[in-house]
Amino acid sequence: MATVTTAAPSAQQSTATRRIFNWRTRQMLLAFLFILPAIINFTVFRYIPIAASIRASFYEYSLLRGLGDFIGFDAYIRMASDDTFWKSLQVTSLFVLYKVPLQIVLSLALAVFLTRETFGAGIVRSAILTPMVTSVIVASIIWAMMYHSQQGLIQSILGVFGIPRQTFLSDASRALPAVTVMMIWKDLGFSFIILLAGLKAIPATYYEAALVDGANAWEAFRRVTIPLLMPVLMFVVVTQAVFSFQVFVPVYQMTRGGPLDATKVLVYYIYQQGFRFQDMGYASALSVVALIIMIVISYLLMRWLRPQT
Amino acid sequence: MAVAEQHRGAIAPSVRAENDTLELVKRVANLLLRGVLYAIISLIFLVPFIWMIFGSLRRETEIFQYLFPLNWHTFFPIEWTLQHYEDIFGISDAGKRAGLNFGRNLLNSFIVSTGVVISSLVFNTMGAYFFARLKFPKKNWLLAFVLVTLFVPFEVTMVPLYIVVRYLNIQNTYWAMIVPWFASPFVIFALIQYFRDIPYDLDEAALIDGASYLHVLRTIIVPLAVPGLVTVSLLEFQFIWNLFYWPLIVVQDADIQVLQVVISSQTTQEQTFWGRTFAGSALASVPVIVIFLALQRYYVRGVASTGIKG
Repeated sequence: MATVTTAAPSAQQSTATRRIFNWRTRQMLLAFLFILPAIINFTVFRYIPIAASIRASFYEYSLLRGLGDFIGFDAYIRMASDDTFWKSLQVTSLFVLYKVPLQIVLSLALAVFLTRETFGAGIVRSAILTPMVTSVIVASIIWAMMYHSQQGLIQSILGVFGIPRQTFLSDASRALPAVTVMMIWKDLGFSFIILLAGLKAIPATYYEAALVDGANAWEAFRRVTIPLLMPVLMFVVVTQAVFSFQVFVPVYQMTRGGPLDATKVLVYYIYQQGFRFQDMGYASALSVVALIIMIVISYLLMRWLRPQT
Repeated sequence: MAVAEQHRGAIAPSVRAENDTLELVKRVANLLLRGVLYAIISLIFLVPFIWMIFGSLRRETEIFQYLFPLNWHTFFPIEWTLQHYEDIFGISDAGKRAGLNFGRNLLNSFIVSTGVVISSLVFNTMGAYFFARLKFPKKNWLLAFVLVTLFVPFEVTMVPLYIVVRYLNIQNTYWAMIVPWFASPFVIFALIQYFRDIPYDLDEAALIDGASYLHVLRTIIVPLAVPGLVTVSLLEFQFIWNLFYWPLIVVQDADIQVLQVVISSQTTQEQTFWGRTFAGSALASVPVIVIFLALQRYYVRGVASTGIKG
């Protein structure tokens, strides 16, 4: 009797728990359906490609003949003695080192100059953002025409100052700076709006306090603006460095890596190996190395730029 | 004392007047300087577009004729013409002979961009709802799985992506240009922030009343997150519209190729047809510029928030 009374509720309880458990499982499965498409996308189109290219880098793999013999680390060994690869790394680093600091300084100066809501500031801000919303390919096409050694608009502007025609894109020492100038023009809007939003987020009371303490504009900028803007600045530097390291389109359109490999950046070299020379195995190995370099760079930049507090 | 008082009274107005004029001159000079700087900055960013748009509307020879010395007509046409547009759309005989059909490519760009925006709105909204609201064991692991892809460099993974798309045998189709982008870590991340701003009481009440997750998402979350959804759609549209490297490698068929790639292949062969190149570039950039100017507020907020929140 006693055993029956205790057993009955517990049996009831267990069916109740089971029902709750079933309900929970159902809810969980329903919830999982919401994230499933995204998981599939990231698995198939982000993770598997990286795994596939790591695998492809150990094989002979041409676009025409498909996956061939296993060659182990041959592609990586080949890379070590590939002068064009090292040259492309050098060109890419130069591009990033020219572009990022100059772009950040210019966009910070413009953001400070255009923070105040004076008449016309809105129009100037829209103008600065216009290149950002156009494609890199259109920007590259138009700038290549502006740089044209005979009929370029820049020749005409130089003419105003009495400077004769100059060559830009076909001159080995000027091609990379020319591409860099165009890309700063193109990307400046991005760093500009982020810095502008960062500046506007700094409370005015901080500046008032600095002025009360007798600081001039420059001191206020150095001691109030810069420290408070540091996280935003860091974000902009890291993202721009990572973006710029992957530059491809302007080189493809304006110079095809030339003259004399002076603009042959890493991603263009990968494209050339994979799609011009049909060597997917080597292109994969190059991609893997580029990926590792970029992960290391962004990690180092983030550590180095983190405010010491 | 009285003398001093009188003296002060006599001298003060003229000093003040002098100060006032000086102040006025300073302010006018300041305003002028600001205006000149505004004009120079705007011109630096806009001149290439001005040159492109007016260049597309004048005869080929005119583009070069007025280059030296730099003057009003370096930019502004004397004789207006739509010839270059007739050429690139394949309406004129010259355009037909060159096999140009940019109308088709413009349509392809629209198909691909809207396809991505619509599918991305559906799947990213679902994903963001999952992370912002639903209960699931080890949800943080899934979030990490999604957000790590934010740091995977884009252009570098085009060759790897091509290998997979080739394996799926969808290269050289619209699918190849749409399917890889139907979910985006950036959009999911941004939408999570927008959804978290919506009070949880609202959907909790609906769930207690027996509403399904999908019902809550459709009737409560989506209507309240419209500004956020507009922002991410705008950024996504611009991103896909401007894509170049991916369609370049994955599509060979000119009939389904997007505008950005076609204008490039027109220019790289021989830079002889400047007018057509200008017209094609204008066609590829003016739609996004117009959309951007109309919805600038959403756009700026979207980009700015990546820096502030990220």
